[in-house]
Amino acid sequence: MHVDLKKELTGSGRGRFGAALFLLMVVTATFAPLLAGYDPTAQSPLAFQSPSLSHLLGTNHVGQDIWSQLVYGARTSLLVGLSVAVLSTLLSTIIGTSAAMIGGWYDRIVMRVVDALIVIPIIIVLILVAAYLQPGLWVLIILLSLLGWQAGARIVRSQALSLKERTHLSAARCFGGSRLYLLYRHVVPDLGPILLVEFIYSMRRAIFMEAGLAFLGIADPGMISWGMMMREALDFSYVNAWLWWLLPPGITLSLTIVSITFIGYSLEPTMEPRLRGEAHA
Amino acid sequence: MFSRRNLITYAIALLFILVLNFLLPRMMPGDPLMAIYGEEALVQMTPELKASLVERFALDQSLWQQFGAYFTALFTGDLGHSYYYNAPVFEVILGRLPWTLLLVGLSLILSTVIGILLGIESGWRRGSKTDGTLLTGLMALNGFPDFFIGTVLLLVFGVTLGLFPLGGALTPYSGLSGAALLVDVLKHLALPLAALTLAHVAASYLLTRNTMITVLKEPYMLTARAKGLSERVMKYRHAGRNSMLPVITSAGVRLGRVVTGALFVEIIFSYPGLGYLAYEALLARDYPVIQGVLLAVAVFVLVANFLADLSYPKLDPRVSYAR
Repeated sequence: MHVDLKKELTGSGRGRFGAALFLLMVVTATFAPLLAGYDPTAQSPLAFQSPSLSHLLGTNHVGQDIWSQLVYGARTSLLVGLSVAVLSTLLSTIIGTSAAMIGGWYDRIVMRVVDALIVIPIIIVLILVAAYLQPGLWVLIILLSLLGWQAGARIVRSQALSLKERTHLSAARCFGGSRLYLLYRHVVPDLGPILLVEFIYSMRRAIFMEAGLAFLGIADPGMISWGMMMREALDFSYVNAWLWWLLPPGITLSLTIVSITFIGYSLEPTMEPRLRGEAHA
Repeated sequence: MFSRRNLITYAIALLFILVLNFLLPRMMPGDPLMAIYGEEALVQMTPELKASLVERFALDQSLWQQFGAYFTALFTGDLGHSYYYNAPVFEVILGRLPWTLLLVGLSLILSTVIGILLGIESGWRRGSKTDGTLLTGLMALNGFPDFFIGTVLLLVFGVTLGLFPLGGALTPYSGLSGAALLVDVLKHLALPLAALTLAHVAASYLLTRNTMITVLKEPYMLTARAKGLSERVMKYRHAGRNSMLPVITSAGVRLGRVVTGALFVEIIFSYPGLGYLAYEALLARDYPVIQGVLLAVAVFVLVANFLADLSYPKLDPRVSYAR
């Protein structure tokens, strides 16, 4: 499977829009300290300020600068999204390919676990675990990864099973290539497009779930996050502050997810349409 | 058709949730009674109550015996006692369940019907401008979290325009009955329902549109055209009806998503269903209720998925041939 990813991505308006928007978020997150102007956690007596030149989006109920929180929120969202995408795609690859290559009882047990995890409502499990653990950033990332690999593993396994039967693999096996050699030299590289799409959808799911948990107020309260900003702002919905306090994090969160959706959708033709991943959180 | 493989999968899933529900509070540092019963219980704790609770949960025995006690209690419908509401958790949940069922049921129906209609329209005119706009618009809508859509609706139509009530499911102490009561219920339901429906319409739309495009290539569509059938009959009776199939069979999975979405939407509108109950319980650290609600929702979703799995071969004979 050799595809020109750049061409696929920039070939459609949606793909270009998604890529540009996502790039903007990455730049914002990277240069957050330069763009912010204030420490997002620093409280000040100047609470409920309206937007002004010194506070672009005003201040919140404890006098924190909302613009700085918004900029740092991009960091949290993208850090969670990218880390979970890396970890859960890695898990999907290891578990999916090993099930395909080893087969037998190992394959049967693994696929049972995958099936069971797929029917479980993950967000419910997350709320339950988070209610007890009050997870910080890294615990949350690990939790989301441990609960986010199952759909990918199933897709990877089925693709690896079909790759296993291709002639170039039989040839490599005839020349005495070991299972491990076949795996990383032939199977994994050919899984590329599928892993990429899986990566994108895990990122989307993770950003969605992190925001949801923060919105419920069960993530670490010290973490600056768009979901947490929205929850705090919602408590003060009777003042007009929601215009610059609640809408910005909601819009940036939605735009981030939309940009990822558009990127994913424009890349989907690179793999078989029937193997489309679970596109929803 | 009854599938044993399916049943085992769902049994494993259920066991996973039960074990998690059981282990989490018992693995927390500190007094397990505190983790099982929450802060409110400790305030009311007397030595006698404590002794009876230890006995009830077999807390002085091995972990296996504790799990046995937990399991037996569950199967008799005993989800524990909420000291916050001072009532059995089962009753607390039962009291809130109708509102969630109303919200989720209507939203599932509305989002499915609207999604199918838009999907048929979009697929029929694939590649056209209408199709492109609908596809981009709904995919974008799909990216908006349900709790954000809900908040915006609340702030615009509730707070700013004052067209709808800001929360709750009924006007308290209004003494309304008959048609006036129905209007009151619908007025309170409108915004949460709209939020939930908007957030979930894209799923059935995308599915219908995809199937529609495949169906339009089928030979029987050519036959229909050759027979000289009208555009309308071809579009709805031939293509549309066949494109609905995956949407109907995916209803179980979508139901699960709508239910979890409702948890968030209810919080925004203080809508007194299970989601708002769970949120109140989270704030009060009322662990028995948190556990009870999440267990109830998880089991509900599992049952919905299971029924959907069972219905596949019934609705689409091709699935049973494929086995």
